[in-house]
Amino acid sequence: MSTNELTLTPSQSPGLVKSPLSISPSRPLGAVRRPVNTTGWREWLFTVDHKKIGIMYGCVAFTFFIVGGVEALFIRLQLALPDGRILSADKYNQMFTMHATTMIFLFAMPMAAAFANYFLPLQIGARDVAFPRLNALSFWLFVSGGLILNASWFLGGAADGGWFMYAPNSGPVFSPSNGVDFWVLGLQIAGIASLIGSINLIVTVLNMRAPGMTLMKMPVFTWMILVVQFLLVFSLPVITVALVLLMFQRSYGATFFDVSQGADPLLWQHLFWIFGHPEVYVLILPGFGIISEVLPTFSRKPLFGYPFVVFSGASIGLVGFGVWAHHMFASGLGPVSVAVFSMATMAIAIPTGVKIFNWLLTMWGGKIWYTASMKFAIGLVILFTIGGLSGVTHAVAPSDTQQTDTYYIVAHFHYVLFGGMVFGLFSGFYYWWPKVFGKMLNEKLGSWNFWFMVIGMNLTFGPMHILGLQGQPRRMYIWTEARAGEGFFNFGFWNLVSSIGSFVLAVGILFFIINVIKTTRNPERAPLDPWDARTLEWLTTSPPKVHNFDRIPVVHHLDEFFHRKYVEDETTHAMTQIATGEDLMRAEEAAADTGIHMPGPSYWPLLLAIGVAVLGMGIIYGTPIMVVGALVVLFSSFGWVLEPSVPEPIDFDSPSHDGHTKEIAPVG
Amino acid sequence: MDIVNNVKSSSHRIRNSIAAIIGIVVLAGCARNAPQDTWQPRGHNASVINHLQWIIFPMAGVVGVLVFAFAAYTFWKFKDRGQPIPSQSHGKPVVEIILTIIPALILTVVGVFTFRGIFELANTEDTQMVINVTGQQWWWEYDYPAQADQGITQPIITSGQLVIPVGTKILLRETSRDVIHSYWIPALNGKKDAVPGRINLLRLQADKPGIFAGQCTEFCGLSHANMRMEAIALSKEDFAKWVANQQKDYTSPADGSLAKEGEGVFLNQCIRCHQVNGLKKADGTPALAAPDENVYAGAVPNLSHLMSRNTFAGAKFDLLRKSCRSDVWDASSETIGAKYLAGVSESCLNATALRAWLRNAPAMKPMYSDPKKLGPSGGKYRGMPNLGLTETDIDKLVAYLLTLK
Repeated sequence: MSTNELTLTPSQSPGLVKSPLSISPSRPLGAVRRPVNTTGWREWLFTVDHKKIGIMYGCVAFTFFIVGGVEALFIRLQLALPDGRILSADKYNQMFTMHATTMIFLFAMPMAAAFANYFLPLQIGARDVAFPRLNALSFWLFVSGGLILNASWFLGGAADGGWFMYAPNSGPVFSPSNGVDFWVLGLQIAGIASLIGSINLIVTVLNMRAPGMTLMKMPVFTWMILVVQFLLVFSLPVITVALVLLMFQRSYGATFFDVSQGADPLLWQHLFWIFGHPEVYVLILPGFGIISEVLPTFSRKPLFGYPFVVFSGASIGLVGFGVWAHHMFASGLGPVSVAVFSMATMAIAIPTGVKIFNWLLTMWGGKIWYTASMKFAIGLVILFTIGGLSGVTHAVAPSDTQQTDTYYIVAHFHYVLFGGMVFGLFSGFYYWWPKVFGKMLNEKLGSWNFWFMVIGMNLTFGPMHILGLQGQPRRMYIWTEARAGEGFFNFGFWNLVSSIGSFVLAVGILFFIINVIKTTRNPERAPLDPWDARTLEWLTTSPPKVHNFDRIPVVHHLDEFFHRKYVEDETTHAMTQIATGEDLMRAEEAAADTGIHMPGPSYWPLLLAIGVAVLGMGIIYGTPIMVVGALVVLFSSFGWVLEPSVPEPIDFDSPSHDGHTKEIAPVG
Repeated sequence: MDIVNNVKSSSHRIRNSIAAIIGIVVLAGCARNAPQDTWQPRGHNASVINHLQWIIFPMAGVVGVLVFAFAAYTFWKFKDRGQPIPSQSHGKPVVEIILTIIPALILTVVGVFTFRGIFELANTEDTQMVINVTGQQWWWEYDYPAQADQGITQPIITSGQLVIPVGTKILLRETSRDVIHSYWIPALNGKKDAVPGRINLLRLQADKPGIFAGQCTEFCGLSHANMRMEAIALSKEDFAKWVANQQKDYTSPADGSLAKEGEGVFLNQCIRCHQVNGLKKADGTPALAAPDENVYAGAVPNLSHLMSRNTFAGAKFDLLRKSCRSDVWDASSETIGAKYLAGVSESCLNATALRAWLRNAPAMKPMYSDPKKLGPSGGKYRGMPNLGLTETDIDKLVAYLLTLK
């Protein structure tokens, strides 16, 4: 459907345009009444507001970031000295398995989902996502999955097979604790969450853009999130299949990966990496999207080569499905496969390089303002370049057979993921904090935050390049002096530097937490448009109103918000400011829509997610529990289907004109 | 560091990054003789890889330096110094296309060399000698099939240390008895996984005699970190001597010696899993181990000629005392053969480690050997259990093992 069909009348919000029920919301339908807008904790538990869900995603994901970070510190403590004694072999194996699993599935993906949930509707000028209740379900399923994964620590030990969980080492004989079962179930549930979320966001982007916003006028962040959702839609089913096979093997005696029954263990590797490699781009592209907003804003220039950045992002996504076997160069695929995947892997470096050049050329000729957000964005460009270049060194398959499963790889992907993704997310925190919370994060603390992180990160992961090239393999709970080499700069020195670096890094994160606490206590409000920003999310109050926009904006430009503030002299191309953010806000409020329908809160997403979690635990702890879970799922599904579309008194009156939403008042 | 003056900091940071990259290259060279260094090839296959490394690493380094130099200049040059808002140019397609083509060309060149390298390394046609390598939790077994042209008239089974003749194109046929492992001797070649149910091929060739360290590099469970190995390259003459020794008949210790008593302990305890070729029971019938009845993988190290190796328990522990060990490991390529072939003498034996292992193996190396927790593996061990030997038994066993030259 093209956006033009979505002509909006004041009484229709995009989220409900298709629903005939929204026309007569006062008629109660369904078995159970919807919760009405409430206050306090209920406001959060039953919310379907994409902004509240976004904030909850962010809080939970950040909590898991701390959990995964503490796990990482344990790992570095263990490896600081030879023959470490902090952790047993068993605990160490659990620690690195859960560190990766937590950071990937419980921090990076949901944190990207937090940004996507919050800003994607705002950037495309929509009032919510396409399916608000599904959005809440995604969030609660992610929480269920995360809790199940981490519950294993207290119920007999966590998964110990590595995040890649290669068969047959993941089988019941080789991993006899329940850890892998928790892992399999937690990831399946988190996978359902991501899959639902991705379909929701794809529909939102394709159907709910503001009038005039063609795909090629869409902000790059939204574009990258869209690419990521397609990657998820096509890759998550593959890992789900693999997880189901593993679950049946472990819980019901199937033999999909049992070699004595004729299974081929490489089946798991193919399934895992067909998911696992696109997953890498699922992790990194949101970071790319964030800095593609931040770099233009603080350079006061549009993104250089917008179509090239968009299409290189899309082609990274596409080619990303054709490089999975580069994780398997040592597994004995045969030279033809290795050669093909080696070439494909090199090919993916090209669009990635295009992005880096475009970011640098965005800054070229600009008027660069070095805020904390900008520093993190630049940090991403530099650190990701290092990670990308080390990546090219193992696209050369023979060279990779020396490097794979050594610390060189650990160095590489931490430069890509920590330097790339995490720095992107932190850039986003500083950039959008005033939008979400109406308060500015402290720039000075932001600077400390940045420098400790950038120095800590390089101290931690830089030496791992050397360790790997000197031959220290990964996933070893101890390293030995017998393999450490002679001289001062041997394993001992670099492992110690790396461990010290990890604590410097932790201090950097601590500065962020201090900054958040300090900012929360600071009563000072942020200006409406603190960064002289460029995109639509700034065309509303901070924090945004419940219904996002007083009227749905009509889009004429890429960087619509900027072009409403500035006009270009046609001959000199000089830019003149004609309006401030406040001016634009006043204009919007003066022409505000009336009678805006917003979706009402719902009990069912939360209840359904609890049901799925109980059902999952039943697979480990027996059929009776499974039956209880299934009944809850069934009950809440019916409740969901029969729920009235909106509770009666939900429509919004014309918003107040002082920039803040009035109490919600019943209309009609 | 001045965190307030942003421009200064940014350019510092870039300078630091460049310095760090140059530093990495320089300092990496400072660790001398790291046994698993990936930049010190000692044979043809590793050299092929090393040539590719010398193409791609400097290339990546140069590209990195150029990009960072350009970035640093941009950060400094276009700092906000009160200049007007720049014109809102959306890019120049010509620049874009040039910047797409340049990396594509660079990678094409790299791709050609990579292609050649991949197929050169996959070549197995001119193989001169075959060794079967089998991984299991957490040690490697080597099985030399009879190859008359290499002087191997009967199969040889050994573990931990792979012994090969120099200048010979060796083909390893790898597989596994349980989970996936990966065989890696960096000085001789890249790694290749040992996958159960499959046979993967890996070629090795050593230019000169020497000891080359390796480590299992596919995560294989609890004691993955303790699954090590070495490749020992011997001159062809020395290799022939080694083969002759491995094929030597078993000689029982002299009656009445401590070692003879040790043989008795061995026949009571160790023979359940560990084979010593030629060992006979008291009644004169061959003593046959049955590891398949007791151990999940169905195999444990064959201890015939144990003292001709100088590591044990998955190459985690040295059979040689520290000074004797360095005497062998640090020997020149001319003398190493003779020193290795001398094996482990009583005066050189690392008795502390060997006795500790016999006393309580699971305390020395994490393994699944608690009899109460073997349900999932059908009651079979993964690793060596604590045998509850007395100190006297251990004395006898050590004396016996020392006779297995």
